[in-house]
Amino acid sequence: MANELLSVPVAAGTIFIAGGGLAAVCRKAKQTLTNEKLPLMGVLGAFVFAAQMVNFQLPLMPGTSGHMVGAVLLAIVLGPHAGAIVMSSIVIIQCLVFQDGGLLALGCNIINMALVPTYIGYYVFRLFSGDGLGRGGMYTGSIVACVVAMEAGALLVPIEAAVSGVLLVPFTTFLYTMLGVHLLVGLIEGVVTAFVLEYLRDVRPQILTGGLAGEGRMSTIAVYVTLLISALILGAGLSLVASSNPDGLEWSYKERPDQPQFRPAVGNDSQVVAAADRLQDRFAPMPDYSVRASEHAETEVGGDRTGGPWAGWTSFAGVFGSLLTMAVVWGIARMLRHRPASRVPA
Amino acid sequence: MSLVDIQDFSYSYADGIDALKGINLKVRQGERVAFIGPNGAGKSTLLLAIGGFVSGHGRVTIGGMEYSRSNTKAIRCILGGVMQDPDDQLFMPTVFEDVAFGPLNMGMNENDVRTAVESALMQVGLANMSDRPPHHLSAGQKRAAAIATILAMSPRIITMDEPDSNLDPRSRRNLIELLKGLTQTLLIATCNMAFAAAVCRRAVLIDNGQIIADGAVGDVMGRADLMDAHGLEVPSNLNTPAEGTA
Amino acid sequence: MHHAHIDKFAYLDSPIHRLDARVKLVATVVFTVFVLLLPRQGVSVLLCYAIWPFALLVLGNVPIRFVLRHILIVSPFIAVLALAMPFYSQAPVSIAFGPFAWTTTSGWLRCAAIMGKFFVTMALLIALVSTTRFADLLAAMEKMGMPAVLVMQLGFLYRYIFVLIDRAHHMLRARAGRRLRYLGPKRELATAGAMVGSLLMHSIDTAGRVNIAMEARGFDGQFRTIRRMKMAGRDLIFAAIFVFVILLLHTVIRPAMR
Repeated sequence: MANELLSVPVAAGTIFIAGGGLAAVCRKAKQTLTNEKLPLMGVLGAFVFAAQMVNFQLPLMPGTSGHMVGAVLLAIVLGPHAGAIVMSSIVIIQCLVFQDGGLLALGCNIINMALVPTYIGYYVFRLFSGDGLGRGGMYTGSIVACVVAMEAGALLVPIEAAVSGVLLVPFTTFLYTMLGVHLLVGLIEGVVTAFVLEYLRDVRPQILTGGLAGEGRMSTIAVYVTLLISALILGAGLSLVASSNPDGLEWSYKERPDQPQFRPAVGNDSQVVAAADRLQDRFAPMPDYSVRASEHAETEVGGDRTGGPWAGWTSFAGVFGSLLTMAVVWGIARMLRHRPASRVPA
Repeated sequence: MSLVDIQDFSYSYADGIDALKGINLKVRQGERVAFIGPNGAGKSTLLLAIGGFVSGHGRVTIGGMEYSRSNTKAIRCILGGVMQDPDDQLFMPTVFEDVAFGPLNMGMNENDVRTAVESALMQVGLANMSDRPPHHLSAGQKRAAAIATILAMSPRIITMDEPDSNLDPRSRRNLIELLKGLTQTLLIATCNMAFAAAVCRRAVLIDNGQIIADGAVGDVMGRADLMDAHGLEVPSNLNTPAEGTA
Repeated sequence: MHHAHIDKFAYLDSPIHRLDARVKLVATVVFTVFVLLLPRQGVSVLLCYAIWPFALLVLGNVPIRFVLRHILIVSPFIAVLALAMPFYSQAPVSIAFGPFAWTTTSGWLRCAAIMGKFFVTMALLIALVSTTRFADLLAAMEKMGMPAVLVMQLGFLYRYIFVLIDRAHHMLRARAGRRLRYLGPKRELATAGAMVGSLLMHSIDTAGRVNIAMEARGFDGQFRTIRRMKMAGRDLIFAAIFVFVILLLHTVIRPAMR
């Protein structure tokens, strides 16, 4: 998930949710973490990173390679709270050290890849395997848990993109693609996770007892449904609340009082647009203003609509001026670098 | 009184194999002892037992204290262990934080911690690397940093597990000089006879979890038949005795 | 250790390197927000905004070519989505740019805008990360309220990633040296599985030894740190310049370039 596919209110909302969620997870984790778990969390996180580098050719798709994500495995081995912390740290490091994901998209990425899959995966696994690690339960549990976890995370991405409205790919297309790809990913991940769990059970069983012990019986369905609904409602709701205040945000959403006869030029054929419009109409306090209306007002860059023969020149001037400024900055930097060397004692 | 006193200590792995059998060992303050022996002899396990990480039968007394819930932290303040792989010992994002970890856990205040860290780093020659992350260091520097993490705690006893492994000749020479300059009691496990002879005065030969010989370096390592029988060799530098205390 | 690309720049020295990590972090986030607030089809205005990360990089002694190459490497995901835009929005648009004028579709404009924003925000993120040591970034986040458990976890993760990635690289190289052809899905998976299993065992054993190392140095569950982060005069100057630049960009230049 990248910054640029999100609108500011969605980014802010998801960061808020992710931050709150993480803080709660950390508090919960402190109650159950033992000292030995701490280095294990760090090293297992690094392991997941390194394991993601071990790619293998997908059996059905020649030329593409797949790799593990690891959220469900971490949740099973470490418990959901510690697992969520480790996955969050992986997401953060991916952003800061490898620039794989934008700063403002961290909220979404943490929700999609760290918080949702670990908890959902954990509880679904528990549902199938009970508290033990019998072979059948472990395999079915892993596969189902990974598929559900991956799909849940994959589901959120198009929703976040759609609510932001930056991307024009139709919601349904994006959704189906994501769900389809992650079904395959989830299946493979489930199998690999099961292999790893079996290997661990044979070689280092004491690692596994830590994660599965001591969690009370929770209604799995309730957890699942609640998580999804909360994410949806909060994400959509926050963006609507925020965008009902046009001054704060995108100038493009503002009403155009100078052109009272303005109407949307052509109904955009994108379904996400239509869906967003309907959402806006139903929940927005100002139902007659549509998100997409002003998109068509802004169809020109450097604005013929503002009129005048000089219109196109503002952007020209802007570009030219920027390049000039950059050259000046470059020159200053070079001078600063060379100055100490050239300072000769009198 | 012995600083380290091990009485009839035995330990077996979970699968039943004996790692240590009937170990009896006394080490006085200031001694420098080399634990030599072939791979798998039990040298590392013995060091772990001295560090209180292995629970077997028999008594391990450090500085007059036996390991127990109440004593362990106090013992760890006077006994520091340098591990075989510095990467296991340098787990913080910067060298400074690694070296400060021990003193902070001992409850020292900020200024004392800073002083301890700076002097430890200076002692090992890494004063200008304190802000670096460990993965920027060379093997020799990592080894030095690992030693600094222990020195900062001002222990009385330092155990080292194969400290000279993975070092190039220059780093090894630096390490030897560093160790010779230490006043602490040293217990060093090593496969390198020349290294042992350069640093230590006393050698304890271990094989199959038992102490085979225990005496002056020249006496133990000078016996070719003994060395041969246990997969070792007589080092070439036996005639230049190690300097320093005891 | 070949993966320390960004890392190595963080240990250089420059006026940017010497700034407080908290100030740089906040400035990065705020600037990114303002870039995202730019209109969906504004392209040339992005170049004006790009001056800021450019200046930071240049003054921070970070080679621009490296930055551009790095951005290209991480761009595939968003490039694919951005390039989908022209298919879905075909509303015609006429562009006047200085003496030139031509027509294109709003889809292409939005695609260009997204990619442009991506470049600017990425360049800014790289500027932050290559002029700030990770340990300092971590300390900044801790000072700004990140839970201790997460800080410790990030520190460990950062520390051991390089160790494990190196190991994985060695394994991959070993596999490449001995696997001369595609072995069929079952063998491929089995080999990958064995490598992953071996990595996993190594990780777990390492964690056990690190635990011993921590206990040997007196760890009792309490995270204790001393890091002194002090704001200096230069940080206030930087903050002032930043506020000025942002205001200039948002209130003057952005409307002017509509």
